[in-house]
Amino acid sequence: MNFVKRAWLNLWARKGRSALLILVTAAIMLFVLAGLLLRSAANTAVANAKSSVGATLTLSANREAAFKKMREQMEDQSQDSDSDSDTTPTRPSLTMTPVKLSDAEKIAKLSGIESYNVSVSTSANASGFDVIETSTGTSIMQGGGGFGGRGGFEDNSGDITISGVSSTAGATAFSDGTNTITKGRGLTSDDIGTKNVVVETELAKQNDLAVGDTIKLKSLKTDDAAAKSYTVTIVGIYKAKSSSTAQMGPGASDPANTIFTSYSFANTLKGSDAKNTADSVIFTVSTPSKVDSVQKAAKKLINTSKFSIDSNDASYQMVKASMSSVTSFADKIVWLVAIAGTIILALIVILMIRERRFEIGVLLALGERRGKIIAQFFCELLVVLLVAIGLASAGGQFVGDKLGEQVVASAQTSTTNNAQGGFTRGGGQAPSGDQGQGAPSGQMPGNMGGRASANQAAMQKQAKLSTRITLKDVGLLTVLGLAIILIAITAGAAGILRLQPKKVLIGS
Amino acid sequence: MLETKDLSYWYTNKEDYLFKDLDLTFDAGISYAIVGESGTGKTTLISLLAGLDKPRAGKILFRGEDIQASGLSNFRRHHVSIVFQAYNLFTYMSALENLMTALSITHSSHNGDRQYAMQMLSKLGLTEEQMKQNVQRLSGGQQQRVAIARAMVCDAPLVVADEPTGNLDEANSDEVMALFNQLAHDQGKCVIIVTHDAAGAAKCDAVLRLKHRELTWQKQPPVPAMVD
Repeated sequence: MNFVKRAWLNLWARKGRSALLILVTAAIMLFVLAGLLLRSAANTAVANAKSSVGATLTLSANREAAFKKMREQMEDQSQDSDSDSDTTPTRPSLTMTPVKLSDAEKIAKLSGIESYNVSVSTSANASGFDVIETSTGTSIMQGGGGFGGRGGFEDNSGDITISGVSSTAGATAFSDGTNTITKGRGLTSDDIGTKNVVVETELAKQNDLAVGDTIKLKSLKTDDAAAKSYTVTIVGIYKAKSSSTAQMGPGASDPANTIFTSYSFANTLKGSDAKNTADSVIFTVSTPSKVDSVQKAAKKLINTSKFSIDSNDASYQMVKASMSSVTSFADKIVWLVAIAGTIILALIVILMIRERRFEIGVLLALGERRGKIIAQFFCELLVVLLVAIGLASAGGQFVGDKLGEQVVASAQTSTTNNAQGGFTRGGGQAPSGDQGQGAPSGQMPGNMGGRASANQAAMQKQAKLSTRITLKDVGLLTVLGLAIILIAITAGAAGILRLQPKKVLIGS
Repeated sequence: MLETKDLSYWYTNKEDYLFKDLDLTFDAGISYAIVGESGTGKTTLISLLAGLDKPRAGKILFRGEDIQASGLSNFRRHHVSIVFQAYNLFTYMSALENLMTALSITHSSHNGDRQYAMQMLSKLGLTEEQMKQNVQRLSGGQQQRVAIARAMVCDAPLVVADEPTGNLDEANSDEVMALFNQLAHDQGKCVIIVTHDAAGAAKCDAVLRLKHRELTWQKQPPVPAMVD
């Protein structure tokens, strides 16, 4: 094992050269490690996306069937009016059948369904407190209910938008970070059947409301029932991140006028017909790849002429697509750096061998085996490699993080650009995800706003691509490093194998 | 100990040979000097005898065996020690480490014996401090002594030196030549030295002159004192 000692003596005696070699190797290893970290982080992100981003199924009224029915009614009326010219035809209205909670419960029992969230939207009038008034130009708009899911402006809407949910934590507006509970607590399944509400900070400030206070809400007057007043208890106050009214159209209420409550109380405000119904129910599918089979099974449990069940795994697909581009980029980095590193190290080794030809000549003259001379160079580079890997491991986290941020940002930009067209066409940018998920009874459900928000959330999750150095990464880096120095030594060894001691020591 | 049989060497043209059909015998316990003008092939001859090159024709026998048959590398490792004009020490090692490395590579009987290596260096006039410092910090004479000590510590019965006094002053040259004679006479080694130094060559037991492609004895070797 004398060659090991020689390798050590040489490294120690030529400290400056050894340090330079360590720095060059560390730089190569650093980029290889950064590539490995990126690739592993991207793979982890895709795996996490499967569980955390998830896919959803939305059970709601079948709009297509409702429109078809309306068109049929219109055709019937036009035929009747042709035969009887004295009667004035009345324009048929679009009738949506609310989702039955019993149907939702059946679907929830399917394997693959992780959880579900009921969404009911309606509106009510404030009683004894002031709503946030929004001034746009010369007009002052009041009331209007939810924006995202509304088909249009209605004169008989209340000034407060009521968003009924199973729990605030499960509602997209809270899970994607648009709304955050700042005081008190959010709504949970325990609040179903109660009159507990969560109000927005601005509304609370304007009316000096605090957790524990009560306010009065008046249901809208309908043909069948008179307006009724309800006293509700504030259990929490939330802060809406996007409270801008800039994008709101005519008839839209300020997002601060949205009050979250349990879906049961929202149904109470809607009227007795709405009992045990929902505008939509969102089911979270535990494994996004199984969303199609779960959707198929769910369709068998519902009346598809009245209800539709739509899948949405766009978040998962978006994360998967952008992570695939990160993985591909990371792969390229690993390969390019490994190839470039091998070439650089091979050149260094060749130069090193040329520089040390006299030493090699003496060793050969003493009768040293060529294999052992090559082994000495390998040992020297191995020590250099191990130190370089240590340095690379220390700096790899930082470089991996920085590179990851850049790569993810560029992947996000391209993926979002590709995806945005579809979402904006579908639902526009709803101020609140939940408002988009459900609409007041009889109005068109609009999921696209909520989906856009969910995708934003998914992208945010992805932006936090975590690059962590594990023993596996260091092991893989060592294997790659060993392969690089083996190739470099093999390239340089040709010089040693060809070297004639006579030419080196005597001939010259 | 070492014989050449019809030894011939040329570079590119067979007719333009350096020497042809040489038959020589080198015995143990005798120091030989090979002298001659530049370009006559002294260095080529000694590199062939040291197993650093292969003859174009003929063969070299060590104790009756063709050195190429067992491998030149093996021959150099076990049977020959070479001393160069430029010392050719490992410059990243101390004098002591140079000796220890040679002991290890040649698998000598004193492999790993630091005391033995230190004794040898001490015998050649190096202090303990000098032994442990990098060889580049030693003078030319001291470095040549280290190179000779390296040849002495190994068990190789054949010592080949190419212009060992070429870089030394007269006093150091005399000392070095005396050391080579000691190697032959005290340790029973066969010492072959190529030199330009006529006075130094005269101190050897036998002198060969290479001139006009002919090798002639300028000073005949004595009857071998030791039988190999």
